[in-house]
Amino acid sequence: MSSSPATAVGLVLMLALTVGLGVYARRFGRSTSDLLVAARTVRPRLNAAAISGEYLSAASFLGIAGLVMQFGYDVLWYPVGYAAGYLVLLIFIAGPLRRFGAYTIPDFAEGRFDSPAFRRVAVCLVILIGLFYMLPQMKAAGITVSAATGAPYPIGVVAIAAVVVALVAGGGMGGITVVQAFQFAVKIFAISLPVFVLCVEFGSPSHLFAQLGSRVDPQLPAAVQFTVHPGDEWTLARPTSVLPQTPLRVRLLPPRSSAGGTYPALGGPTGSGAGQGRTLILRPPQQTLPAGSVVFSDAGRVGLRAGAPVPFGASTPASSNRAWALPFGPLAGGGGHPLLFTYSLLVGILCGTMGLPHILVRFYTNPDARSARRTAWLVLVLLGLFYLWPPLYGVLGRLQDPALYTQKLTDSVVLLLPRLLFPGWLGALMTAVVSAGAFAAFTSTLSGLLVSLAGALGHDLYGRWWRPESSPRARRRAFRLAAIVAGAGAAGLGLTVQSFDISVLVGWAFAIAASSFFPLLVLGIWWRGLTALGAALGATLGGLAATAGIVTTMLQPASPALTSFLDRNSGLAVIFSQPAIVTIPLSFALMVSVSLALPHPPGQVSLKMLQLHVPERLGLRHDYIPE
Amino acid sequence: MEVGPSPSDNEVSASAQIDHLTELAEQTRVGEVYLAALMRRQLRLSLGVAVSLLAVLGVQPLLDRWVAYRQAALFSIPVPWLVLGLLTYPLLVVAGYFYLGRSESIDDEFGDLMR
Repeated sequence: MSSSPATAVGLVLMLALTVGLGVYARRFGRSTSDLLVAARTVRPRLNAAAISGEYLSAASFLGIAGLVMQFGYDVLWYPVGYAAGYLVLLIFIAGPLRRFGAYTIPDFAEGRFDSPAFRRVAVCLVILIGLFYMLPQMKAAGITVSAATGAPYPIGVVAIAAVVVALVAGGGMGGITVVQAFQFAVKIFAISLPVFVLCVEFGSPSHLFAQLGSRVDPQLPAAVQFTVHPGDEWTLARPTSVLPQTPLRVRLLPPRSSAGGTYPALGGPTGSGAGQGRTLILRPPQQTLPAGSVVFSDAGRVGLRAGAPVPFGASTPASSNRAWALPFGPLAGGGGHPLLFTYSLLVGILCGTMGLPHILVRFYTNPDARSARRTAWLVLVLLGLFYLWPPLYGVLGRLQDPALYTQKLTDSVVLLLPRLLFPGWLGALMTAVVSAGAFAAFTSTLSGLLVSLAGALGHDLYGRWWRPESSPRARRRAFRLAAIVAGAGAAGLGLTVQSFDISVLVGWAFAIAASSFFPLLVLGIWWRGLTALGAALGATLGGLAATAGIVTTMLQPASPALTSFLDRNSGLAVIFSQPAIVTIPLSFALMVSVSLALPHPPGQVSLKMLQLHVPERLGLRHDYIPE
Repeated sequence: MEVGPSPSDNEVSASAQIDHLTELAEQTRVGEVYLAALMRRQLRLSLGVAVSLLAVLGVQPLLDRWVAYRQAALFSIPVPWLVLGLLTYPLLVVAGYFYLGRSESIDDEFGDLMR
């Protein structure tokens, strides 16, 4: 990938602005970075912008567009779920949790059940979910830096991890409200302006869809030279003449089972069924490749003419424009159980939002439950405004730059489209804008997560269990060390996820959070009968069950036995890959049944409920017996 | 269990106010009833909004199975895209706004009753 100075300028400018604003804000006393002594005076509007700034991660900024480009309509469930998650948070927990004064889930677990042991369980779950959520941010960092500088993916991951760790460990931008609010402004500007300019150039959305509808499958708008490596896989919709520069051996693959919206024609009478397993030699200057999938055995370069059907790389299932645009296309329909998939994805995201480690913290800066609720509602408004835009990049990408399918670069579509479509200064400017937005997206989320993780590791693991007698200074040092350890761990794991889609990885973090913390928060706030044992068992087993399903799905490509088992049990495969629809009820059922079987003595529960639900103005919050 | 003094003529309002709050604060059985009533009203509201949220979102995959809907287009944009990608967000915002108003007035009414 060629480098672009404009992108690098965008990144550096963004970094400088962020750090500068952080320093400025700190000097003028608006710092709410140290959340343990939070000022709690942030107004809902500013706070909502800050929460949105921290929440809009690389998955929102890059991932949705890339996934829409790959899979079409079904992907729209992701942004809708990300936004609607705040409605769920608003109606069930925003007010009570603010009254309770708990601003992390471990705080709530300990405070609600008076159980330090439960706190430890919650801390472990926070670390698990936090790591899962950092993976896609790391991938985004890697591809953004590599689009900006041409550096290889691992260097981007390590460099950004180092920058964020330095910012967080240096007491940096993680928790400062105005900085996060500014990041939101950057992101909504950086996502909406370029796509607006692109639509001025290439036509309104209605024009784009009309163009898509007029072609059977995505076609290359201009001639392209592809670099191929041994092992690269191409899937073509119809026989296509290609222009290899050197003789290249390719192996024809047997047709895949084409469930859902993929090509029904593939492997049919006109497909590659006849010669599967056969090796073909592509000789210059021109050769016809049959429809179906092939694997290259040699490295080299292959040209395709303008108007040729695009070869789909291994990461994107081939789909016609029609299947792509209609519901239950390759994403939801691919597993053969489109409704199950869609509903499970949806509940996972809806219920997972509140369980992410860095989300609840910021509600603590509201003065009371009323402003916490207003903040949550304003976040919903801001997210709704943001999520209108990313899908348009996906549509534009399918139409104007389908070569990204072949190159397996769909996750970079937001970053690459402007430069490709506007040569010259406009392209450079727009590229700088989207790069700055992407940088804001992954750094804000990464630093928020890192603060939460380092807090869990440094304050809880070190300050409470390992060295309860340690001085505040030693704890601050432990926090910094924990930030470095967590950052290094996330970077190490981030190196392994290059081939996964950003939004899919994020969806998994949501599913684990939804299966552990969502039932804990909802039942803990609204049901007196929940006991510490029930809550801990339900949260742990629910979270582990979801993790097990997801890890199985991640390991599947490496294990032929697992693959064939999941092929035979397609319903199970869907549930493993989107476990929320089973694991959320499992977690609820465990919590309720264990709590009913081994009830607590009533004890302090009423006091907790009083704290959670009685309006602040009655003055019962601090001294429960006003005499 | 009779905790509060029975209301007697002149000082009814003043003493009743104090008593409500005290009963709540001391978690007497009467106070528990107040609290339970507040929680029940708030939870019923939340569940109502949750059900309407699930209706707005949950009905769309079912609609998607309906051929006339999945193939409809407005200005050549498929209708399912418009509904899910554009129309759903304002609906979420409206549902949230409705919840805000109602939950604040439940809290206010409770506060007025206790005070």
